[in-house]
Amino acid sequence: MRKKRFKLAASLMAFTLISGMLYGCSSSGSGDSADGGDKGADSKTVTLTVLNNWNGSSGSDSESNPVLKAIEEKTGIKVKIDYTKGSEAEKVNTIFATQDLPDIYTGPAWGGELDGIIKAAKEGQLVDLTDKIDQYPNLAKAIAKENVPPALYEKAIGGIDGKKYMMYQNQPATDKDVNDWLYGFYVRKDIADKIGVDPQSVKTKDDFYNFLKKIKDANLSENGAPVIPLGGFHDGWAVGIGNTMFYGADYQDKGDGTLEHVFFTKAYEDYTLYYRKLISEGLLDPDAFTQTDPIANEKIKQGRIAVLSAHYPAILDASKEYVKAHPGSDYVPVGPLERAGAEPNRPVDLNIQGNNVTVITKKAKNVDAALKLLDFLASDEGFMLVHYGIQGTQWDMVDGKPTAKQEWFDKFTADTTGKAKKNEGISIGLENMTGMDRINSVGGGDIWADQDRLKAMDNARKILRPNGISVISAFNPGDVITKSPQWETLKPSMDQINDVWKQAIFAKSDDAALKVINDLREQIKNTGYDDAMKYVNEELKGKEVVKLSMPN
Amino acid sequence: MSSSTLWKRIWKHKLFYLFMLPGIIWFFLFSYVPLYGIQVAFRDYTFVGGFTGSPWAGLKYFKQFFDYYQSTDIIRNTIIISLMKLIIGFPMPIILAILLNEIRNLKFKKTVQTLSYLPYFISWIVVVTLMQRLFATYGGPVNDLLSSMGVEPIQFLYNTSWFYEVIIGSDVWKNIGWNSIIYMAAIAGIDQQLYEAAKIDGAGRFRLIWHVTLPGIRNVAVILFILATGSLMSAGFEQLLLLNGPSTAAIGSVLDVHVITQGIQQGRLSYAAAVGLFQSLIALVLIVTVNRIARKVSDVSLF
Repeated sequence: MRKKRFKLAASLMAFTLISGMLYGCSSSGSGDSADGGDKGADSKTVTLTVLNNWNGSSGSDSESNPVLKAIEEKTGIKVKIDYTKGSEAEKVNTIFATQDLPDIYTGPAWGGELDGIIKAAKEGQLVDLTDKIDQYPNLAKAIAKENVPPALYEKAIGGIDGKKYMMYQNQPATDKDVNDWLYGFYVRKDIADKIGVDPQSVKTKDDFYNFLKKIKDANLSENGAPVIPLGGFHDGWAVGIGNTMFYGADYQDKGDGTLEHVFFTKAYEDYTLYYRKLISEGLLDPDAFTQTDPIANEKIKQGRIAVLSAHYPAILDASKEYVKAHPGSDYVPVGPLERAGAEPNRPVDLNIQGNNVTVITKKAKNVDAALKLLDFLASDEGFMLVHYGIQGTQWDMVDGKPTAKQEWFDKFTADTTGKAKKNEGISIGLENMTGMDRINSVGGGDIWADQDRLKAMDNARKILRPNGISVISAFNPGDVITKSPQWETLKPSMDQINDVWKQAIFAKSDDAALKVINDLREQIKNTGYDDAMKYVNEELKGKEVVKLSMPN
Repeated sequence: MSSSTLWKRIWKHKLFYLFMLPGIIWFFLFSYVPLYGIQVAFRDYTFVGGFTGSPWAGLKYFKQFFDYYQSTDIIRNTIIISLMKLIIGFPMPIILAILLNEIRNLKFKKTVQTLSYLPYFISWIVVVTLMQRLFATYGGPVNDLLSSMGVEPIQFLYNTSWFYEVIIGSDVWKNIGWNSIIYMAAIAGIDQQLYEAAKIDGAGRFRLIWHVTLPGIRNVAVILFILATGSLMSAGFEQLLLLNGPSTAAIGSVLDVHVITQGIQQGRLSYAAAVGLFQSLIALVLIVTVNRIARKVSDVSLF
């Protein structure tokens, strides 16, 4: 009898252990976020979880930091932020499919990420803010029709099926706040000198090809390894930006006033074959499309890339170390290169707009607290707190302008990892929720940037933007086509364009490259392209459409 | 057999069944419970409806897959790569096990054995990163060695000319040790008297391997072969996600990667489920067919 009881007890224990283990598996990671708005230790404090869906973003070492504390004091809301490591589009699909939702989601205002959010809105996963948003002036202002690009307003921000779900961020509030990242090709100054070419004399696509060829023919080497003429960063970012030498924007006028996607044009074929030539002649790094950022950075640090293609801040960051050890090896702009379809004296057309949408998910128990938090972050006070840190500690108002305190400036400049800043609560993702971008009109610019960098940016701006810039306000057909009835079947084929382009530039011959492109063209046509374009042309009749656009 | 005697027998061998329990639980949780999700391949998946409440879509997503212009390429690539893995990768662990069995120095044998298992425990992302370093066209040790011998640098990775060598080679390197364990165990189970009898009959080392060792592990090999044919439609997701690039896409795009990119990255869950189901159905047909053939030819079969 005793033995039996012992056995029974043992079985019970085993059962408890196993079920405990399984339960542990099934609910891992969702404990906190599941019941947003739950009361913390202090019964007046509300805790809200935020998913900052930007790949590679990160926060402070500990969960709390001075900025988060200041927010808690101001609003009574404790904020816990999660970060995405990996594909953002994948993250959006996963959180809704698994229902592992944060209270507040904030992430990219484009591509598959935005499509995922729109799908979530249509399927009842988000909180309808139509009746509430007007009570929060800072949030309402950022989604006012005049503050959102028109196609994006119609597609998402202005409402989905008549209901408003999304808050919109980082649209420049004034001309002063426009942020030009200065995308382009940049060459190491010492290498340009060595081959005797003035980077500013490189203007046409042939010039650019010859320039790379000269670098290759000079047989330069660094630590025994040959110097690669043209390279980029992770997954091919952004070596393909030479496309602007071939066509102005993704949708082209056929000549009869109707639009077609550039993928169907001769210009696209020329662009592809040009890059195929760069690859096959060893002028473009063949690993550029498969490498990771650490590997790309390593090549740059070893001085093995002559021309880099990306935005200037990324290039300045990556080359900092090499330039320090080898004075005179700074990357300087090439060009300005020709722009297809643009008069040389035309200001550069940049697609500068907000980059972020924020939504409250249906898991949020305390919607008013979430809106209160977001409204505070979007206020001028919140904006300064999030971008600059604590007033009186890290910065002060000097002559009406926020000015960094020297000790903190030195501390942040000395720290190349950026961790010191994050531990004070700056750049931890909250800046994605601060409403319209007012960094210059309300704030004092980037008060933490060092002078050398600002000087280099100014210099590049003078070279690459001799006629200034003009911010695109016209309709982007790419936003309109997503509303066509054919989009569901068409999207999977259109999504392939980028991959197929890469496949084509690696093809064994020009004919093989064109075949790869033609195969996809046929597939796109078969999945409803013609009807979708009819819809786009109908919708955009009489409206101004983006014809020229440079990367930004 | 009446049910009471079956239970009696189970109870008699309860300790063995207890050993099986974790395996049974694992299969139940990860292979049988998710089966209900198959229906999503026939539904228009929505976040609200989930697996059971989304509207029915019939065979729409299967049709989409077969209408997709690269579907035949993807299926062909999958079959080519996994067939090569089967033909080249299947005998390798058997050869390794036999070679190890012939080593008389126990210390050396154990060391080699342990070293050969190790790669199995390294994840593909680490293996591929190592390969990227080792085989880098400029600055990688392999190409440095080649160039010191006067050979021009070769781009091994993401190059169609070297693609199959890299895929099959790395797969064999990673799995050979682990897969040889079961053969080592089978060899250990062969009656030693058979070896002694053969030796008395004048058999040398190769004769012993041919007439005693190989027939001794035949049954295990056939069973493992039947199981391996089940994965003919999957060519290895992680490996191909990492080792296939735009330059090799024409021969390196496979079903497993297609399912993940379409399902998770593009959010087409129903479509991905349909492709995955198609993959599994073909695998099932293959296993059943090969099992039948094996039963007829060698009297060994799974079921």
